[in-house]
Amino acid sequence: MTPPDGRRLVGRSPVGRGVFAIEDQELPLPDPIALDTSFVVEALIATQPLHGVCDPFLTRIFNSGISIVTSELLRVELAEAAFAIALKERWGGKWRGHRTDGRSRPRAGRLLNHTLIRYDEMLRSMTHISIPLGDTASIAPTFMTDYGIASYDAAHAATALAAGTETIVTTDTGFALLPASLLTVYTDSSRVASCRKKRPR
Amino acid sequence: MEGVAKTQTNGKIERLSPERLAELTHPPAYKTVEERRAALKRATEGFRVKVRVTPDMYGRR
Repeated sequence: MTPPDGRRLVGRSPVGRGVFAIEDQELPLPDPIALDTSFVVEALIATQPLHGVCDPFLTRIFNSGISIVTSELLRVELAEAAFAIALKERWGGKWRGHRTDGRSRPRAGRLLNHTLIRYDEMLRSMTHISIPLGDTASIAPTFMTDYGIASYDAAHAATALAAGTETIVTTDTGFALLPASLLTVYTDSSRVASCRKKRPR
Repeated sequence: MEGVAKTQTNGKIERLSPERLAELTHPPAYKTVEERRAALKRATEGFRVKVRVTPDMYGRR
């Protein structure tokens, strides 16, 4: 199936306010497809609650041979997550107040290495389009002011559109603040209803 | 910067130019499908941490 804009799709056509569950094995895969940090975190870290959903979907993307699009922001967010894991492991719910405590840094450094090595392996396994923030700097603020989307989400959404895909894979319902005509959201089934509810009418 | 994505005056998004997209596109680093599949497996298997990673831990609300 090839839509008018030339994107290659595999499977059936999307419906439903532009929000779809990644558990659906018939879900079309546009080429390329954008990945958000929230999806990558779940796919890479085996102890995450949605790993069992996101890892198979990433494998499905791999098997289909399509290209993936990411913002360079994703790498920074992963590093931040790794650092925060070390803090949270040591300090629990009070981790935010211990950011400058050096005792967590050795563990943070190891986690950061583990995380980025895995991320790089993921990227090296597929054709990958890496979009610098500078290439989307004029679009992201427009999304924020027009639709109230958060800055990081705006950067990832702008990345997708700048690269020529209208679909992002995410577990962050904030992307649904953009209209369905602009961005299609692929998410896990537990978030489909809340995403559809957030869509502007 | 030439080739960067912009919002046009009609509200549509101007995509990156094909030349710029080509510059930013990286083919798989491994030659065979088996090597690529093994890389993906290394990426997604066995990374266990002691806490749940929540969106606020990477700067999201």
